[in-house]
Amino acid sequence: MDDRIQKVRNIGISAHIDSGKTTLTERILYYTDRIHAIHDVKGKDGVGATMDAMELERERGITIASAATYCEWKGHQINIIDTPGHVDFTIEVERALRVLDGAVLVLCAVGGVQSQSMTVDQQMKRYNVPCIAFINKCDRSGADPDRVIAQLKKKLGHNAVTMQIPIGLEADFEGIIDLVTMKAIYFDGPNGEIIRTEDIPEAYMDTAQAQREALIDSASMFSDDLMEAALEEQVTEELLIAAVRNGALARELTPVFIGSAYKNKGVQPLLDAVSHYLPCPADVVNHALDMEKDEATMVLETNPDMPVVALAFKLEDGPFGQLTYIRVYQGTLAKGTAVINVRDGKKIKIGRLVRMHADQMEDIDQIRAGYIGTLFGIDCASGDTFVSPGLSVTMTSMFVPNPVISLAITPANNSSLVKMSKALNRFTKEDPTFRTYVNNETRETIVEGMGELHLEVYVERMRREYDVELSTSAPRVSYRETITRKADFDYIHKKQTGGSGQFGRVGGYMEPSPDEDFIFENNVTGGAIPTQFIPACEKGFKACLAKGPKMEFSVTGIKIVISDGASHSVDSSDMAFQAAARGAFLQAYAKAAPVIHEPIMRVVVETPTEFQGVVMGSLNQRRGMIVGTQEDGPLCAIEAQIPLAEMFGYTTVLRSLTQGQAQFTMEFAVYRKVPQSVAEELIKKREDNKRQVA
Amino acid sequence: MLKNDLMVKNPLRGLVNDTNTLLAKGEFGAILARAGVGKTAFIVQIALSGLLQHKNVLHVSLDEPVQKVSLWYEEVFRRFAESYGPTPVQHLWETILTHRFIMTFQVEDFSVSKLAERVSDLTEQAIFFPQIILIDGLSFSEPPTEILNALRPLARQWGVGVWFTARIHRPEATDAVGSPKPPDAIIDLFETAIQLDPDDNRVHVRILKGPRAKTEHAGLLLDPSTMLIMDKSVQ
Repeated sequence: MDDRIQKVRNIGISAHIDSGKTTLTERILYYTDRIHAIHDVKGKDGVGATMDAMELERERGITIASAATYCEWKGHQINIIDTPGHVDFTIEVERALRVLDGAVLVLCAVGGVQSQSMTVDQQMKRYNVPCIAFINKCDRSGADPDRVIAQLKKKLGHNAVTMQIPIGLEADFEGIIDLVTMKAIYFDGPNGEIIRTEDIPEAYMDTAQAQREALIDSASMFSDDLMEAALEEQVTEELLIAAVRNGALARELTPVFIGSAYKNKGVQPLLDAVSHYLPCPADVVNHALDMEKDEATMVLETNPDMPVVALAFKLEDGPFGQLTYIRVYQGTLAKGTAVINVRDGKKIKIGRLVRMHADQMEDIDQIRAGYIGTLFGIDCASGDTFVSPGLSVTMTSMFVPNPVISLAITPANNSSLVKMSKALNRFTKEDPTFRTYVNNETRETIVEGMGELHLEVYVERMRREYDVELSTSAPRVSYRETITRKADFDYIHKKQTGGSGQFGRVGGYMEPSPDEDFIFENNVTGGAIPTQFIPACEKGFKACLAKGPKMEFSVTGIKIVISDGASHSVDSSDMAFQAAARGAFLQAYAKAAPVIHEPIMRVVVETPTEFQGVVMGSLNQRRGMIVGTQEDGPLCAIEAQIPLAEMFGYTTVLRSLTQGQAQFTMEFAVYRKVPQSVAEELIKKREDNKRQVA
Repeated sequence: MLKNDLMVKNPLRGLVNDTNTLLAKGEFGAILARAGVGKTAFIVQIALSGLLQHKNVLHVSLDEPVQKVSLWYEEVFRRFAESYGPTPVQHLWETILTHRFIMTFQVEDFSVSKLAERVSDLTEQAIFFPQIILIDGLSFSEPPTEILNALRPLARQWGVGVWFTARIHRPEATDAVGSPKPPDAIIDLFETAIQLDPDDNRVHVRILKGPRAKTEHAGLLLDPSTMLIMDKSVQ
């Protein structure tokens, strides 16, 4: 294997919002000499952390777009993708995990394993990303790494092993004891850059020895050599590291490290851990779909001499044009070579190649298999696969959820309209969960997304980055219509008003289809409807789905079966059968007991126990069904299912109820029928709107 | 229709008392078994049987997170419904869910006063009024007399029957199949005590104490493959 590739790590830093990912990344960049001063996330110095490149992120103290950056540590080349912590931006996290080989799961020593950590962990499982855990904020009051490790085991089911123990905790947090080298490590100097290694203090010796025993016990399950050495009491550092690495790569062991990025403690040992325990690109098996073999799965080889297969995983609009973040899985992407975009078959010549460091860059000549880099001036969408000419494979498509919330946006003037469409074009390419369309009736531009904050951020970005003046409507929930019982149709479309006539008859039934959005089944026998008109029938039915007859919401969960019909040798046409299908749809739909469905969100509120009662009250008022409460020390998590329509503005309510101490995450769970009273209200509102428009 | 079917065919109906419930208000019941025999599956079926009658069930778990407890319910309900035919059950499931509330505590943090505080949070705001309480995971290595004594007046006040799962241990000296009879000190704490007793390929449901204790062994089994309760006569 190429020696260089063994020294490459593509890692992500994933965690719950506010557990200190960006601060940690900032420290990593400082210790690896990529930056020469440290700035805080919500910096008083007005500079902000290097990874939070967007102005908006700096202001809100959250990471939105995952910036990719590159650094070197003791001969290892590390590519870091800083991932967003808010659940509304989950697609970013998922995309980042798709291109990573390993991840650092950052946990807060006080908050522990929170709901977002669970979501992130599930994503890591889905993409089989090995990880190590870093328990941050050990200097905070209430820090309890042991509790967090217990939660890692219990809540996330990790086989977590302690690799370090703290010397002091909270305000007395001084340093750490490394259980592999059995040394105490202190971090001196103004920014913790001077590492002082000493013997373990007497008071910690017994604990350290007991914990090391436990570590060896767990690790020996992954290495026979270590087991033998343990029996002979001759465990070496190399053996122990190799065994833990084996376990971590198989995702059967999660080594846990501790520290406080803010206080500059524990970051350098974490970098050592990244090189020791996370995989190099060649350790990971990546798959692609072979388009020529009916999308059969094929294994890609991390070999720079083979034909290129690369994935564009993120787009950014920089000051010099579009930047495309790309991960090369096979072959070498070199300046001046040509590749094909598999999605549209277009040939692209590779111009400038750079390596990104947040918003600064460095020119390079090639990106070899296993590396991450950035292309300049390539027109593509995120998720596109680039391959060498002659190859026809695509990387596995990523799971993209449907949006649940929409907003109408209106530009203030013509110049804003131009800028807005430019911005929307960019955003929809960058983020597949963000969609846009023009409502044909109201002529309004509608944007759709995964949550209130998701849309809010894009609207803000339009204002700031693209200088668009715009107004927005109140967010609207994406309701849907569906039917609840079977209904027959038998409709004749007949028109004879001069010229050639139109004739088509379709008969059959519609019924609910809980698992599929739309199923069309053709059971016509004996040529009652000639075969060439069947697609026209399907088209006619499909056309009715976009706008349901009941409330004009899109119709889903419906199965149409046509079993009978009639045609005319002269007057029947595609057009006539499309019209007949539309008539048949309307005829049966009213009889099929249509209902309105609304998106129900899974909401998890994490709050100090003393606010549990009021928080439950606030959830209950929102037509919520509280599934359960989970007490865990001083904190409590309340899980509920609540209609999205009731969740607008909940952030503010929760903040005032709990003195700002609670937080919540929200993700789409299921579509469910709206209660009768709400349905009536919706119908009334729609009629009012119609009257206003008229 | 499905709901009626499920209720009529519910094998637990053989255990009901004169008031058509498994436990009268203020009474305690226990499911006793060794580890891994199916206590949680059994208690979830008691809960589902109550939920199908629109009774509000408060499930208190001392060692599983909310999501895992929910999974137990989903799984048992799905198997339960599947065993009666392929009728769609989604609607019924959503209806009964509104009658269930899961509360989880760390074993070491659990106390009756904490539970009382949480229940009053729910009742005072009219969020949830429990009619059956299940407590899963309480340690019975020593009889938890203190907890039960503190809980009894509250159970009467709330008007609920409370079910517990209790893990019993096989005496070290014996390798015999099946479980020993649990100590009287534990059985005495409850009005109804049901023991799950595994043999080679079946789990027998034995009623040690309660209104039906004298009438044979209720004729019930726990199917080890599905963990569903079934009538012996059906087998």
